[in-house]
Amino acid sequence: MTDTKRKWLVRCAVIVFILALAALMMILGRGHTVYFDNKTLEYNGETYSAKQRINVDVTGAKTAKLSKRDRGMATWIGQNFTMDLEITENKGDEPVKKTVSLKLPYNMDGIVVNLPGLLADLPREAWMSEFVSMAAETEAEEAEDEIVTDDFGLGDF
Amino acid sequence: MSVKTVPAKGAGKSIGSFLAGNSVPIMFILICAVCIPVSGFSFTYLLNEIMSRLGRNAFLILSLLIPIMAGMGLNFGMTLGAMAGEIALIFVSDWQIWGIPGMVLAMIISVPFSVLLGLFCGKILNMAKGREMITSYIISFFINGVYQLIVLYMMGPIIPISHSSIKLPRGYGIRNTVSLLNMRQSLDNAVSFRIAGVKIPVITLLIIVCMCLLIIWFRRTKLGQDMRAVGQDMQVAKDAGIDVERTRIISIVISTVLAGLGMIIYLQNMGNLSTYSSHSQVGMFCIAALLVGGASVDKASIGNVFLGVILFHTMFIVAPNAGTKITGDSMIGEYFRVFVSYGVITVALVMYETKKRRAKAGNGRQLQLEQEAIK
Repeated sequence: MTDTKRKWLVRCAVIVFILALAALMMILGRGHTVYFDNKTLEYNGETYSAKQRINVDVTGAKTAKLSKRDRGMATWIGQNFTMDLEITENKGDEPVKKTVSLKLPYNMDGIVVNLPGLLADLPREAWMSEFVSMAAETEAEEAEDEIVTDDFGLGDF
Repeated sequence: MSVKTVPAKGAGKSIGSFLAGNSVPIMFILICAVCIPVSGFSFTYLLNEIMSRLGRNAFLILSLLIPIMAGMGLNFGMTLGAMAGEIALIFVSDWQIWGIPGMVLAMIISVPFSVLLGLFCGKILNMAKGREMITSYIISFFINGVYQLIVLYMMGPIIPISHSSIKLPRGYGIRNTVSLLNMRQSLDNAVSFRIAGVKIPVITLLIIVCMCLLIIWFRRTKLGQDMRAVGQDMQVAKDAGIDVERTRIISIVISTVLAGLGMIIYLQNMGNLSTYSSHSQVGMFCIAALLVGGASVDKASIGNVFLGVILFHTMFIVAPNAGTKITGDSMIGEYFRVFVSYGVITVALVMYETKKRRAKAGNGRQLQLEQEAIK
C-alpha cells in the first residue's frame, strides 16, 4: 500500500469515526421533559381514577409529590426512562412502591404520562401524549423579540 | 570597591528591565491588591469565581498561542471560531441534545465551520502580511455580518430550525437568547469536588491541561518548528524550504478550530447563548487577558495564559464592588473594567512598537559604530 493511499485511508477512517460519534451523541443526548399527571383517565368507556397520592423519584431524587389532579415534571436525557413511584391508592392506605421503565419516543420533546393509566397497564396511546404549550405560543406571538445587532452602538448614526 | 559596584549596577539594570518587561502584570497585581480588600469579597468567594472563570476562559485564550508562534500576532479572527461554535450550539439546541453528548456533538459540528472560516481568514491574512491584527479584526466584523444574515434570516426558511423556544415568533431567525440550561456546567459538574469550599471542575481542568500538553508537544513537531521559523523570519524560512503561506494558514485554522471548541466550553459554563453578541467581545477580552498575563504581540506562553486569566478576571470580579465602595456607583467599576481591557491592548501594542523601534535604532547605532571602527 502506498503512503498516499494509507494517508487517505486513515483520513476516511477518522471521518467515519467522528460521524459515528456524532450519531451516537444524537441518540444518547436526546433530551425530553416528562410530565406526570395524577388525573382521572377515561379510556374505552372505563374510568381510571386518580390516586390519593403518588410520589415520583427520578434518578434517586424526589421529583414530584402528586395529589389528585396534580402535574409534576422531570427532565431526562436518553430514551430509557426509569422512575420510582410510591403510590397511595386511598386515604389511610399503606403506600406501595413500584419502579417503572418507559421507552420515550425520540421525536417528542415534552411527553405527558398519565400515571393512573400507566399503572393500569393500558396501551401506550392511552397514557402517553405529546405536551403542547398553547399559552407559551400565544404569549410569544404577542411579545416579539427585539433583535439587537448594533455592535458599534452607533444607533441611528 | 569597583567589584562591588559593578554587580549592584547590573542588578539595578536587571530589576529595571524586569519591571519594564513585566509592567502590565505588575500594574494589574497592584490594581488587584488595592481592589480586593476594598471590594469586601471573602477569599473563598474570590477563589471560587477565579476557578470558575479559569475553566471557562483558559481554553479560548490558549487558542491564541499558535498564531503568535507563527508570527501572526494576536488573532482577533478567533471571533470566527466563536461564531462557528455558536452556530453548532444553535443546531444542538434545536435538536434538543442535552448534557455532555450535546457538547460533544456541538464540538463536532463546529469543526467544519471553523476550518472553512479559518481557511478564509488565513488566505486573507496572507494577502496582508505585516498587518495581520487589524486585518483579522476587520474580517471578524465582516463575518459577523454574514453570521447575522444566516442566523437572522436564513435559519428557519432555508436552514431548518423547528424548536419554538429558539425560533423568533415571526417564523424565521433565532431569538436574542438561546437557553443552554440543559447543558449548563455539565462538563464542570461531571466530576467535581470542593477543597476548602472551592469547587474544582476536574474534567474541565483536565481538558485545559491536555490542551497545554498538546501545545507543548506541537511546538516540537516539524510543523511547530516551521511555525516558529516563519514567526522569526519569513524570508529565512522560505529560503529554508518552508511553505510559509501554507504554514500561516494552518496556524490560523488550528486557532479558529480551538476557538470554536473553547467557545462551546465557555457557553456551557454560562448556561445561555446571546445569539448576536456573545462572540463580539470574546476576542477582545481573551486578547486583553493574555496581554495582562505578560504576553506581547510576538511572544506568549502558557504561563502568560494562566497569569492573565487570574489577574484579568480577579479585576473583573472585584472592580464593580470596589467601584461602588470607592465612588458609590457600581457603574464606575463596570466602566473601569471595560476601559482597562481596551487600554491594556493599546498599551501592549504601543510598547511592542516602541520596543521594535528601539531595537531597530540600536541595530543602526551598532552598525554605525562598527563602520566608524573600520574607518
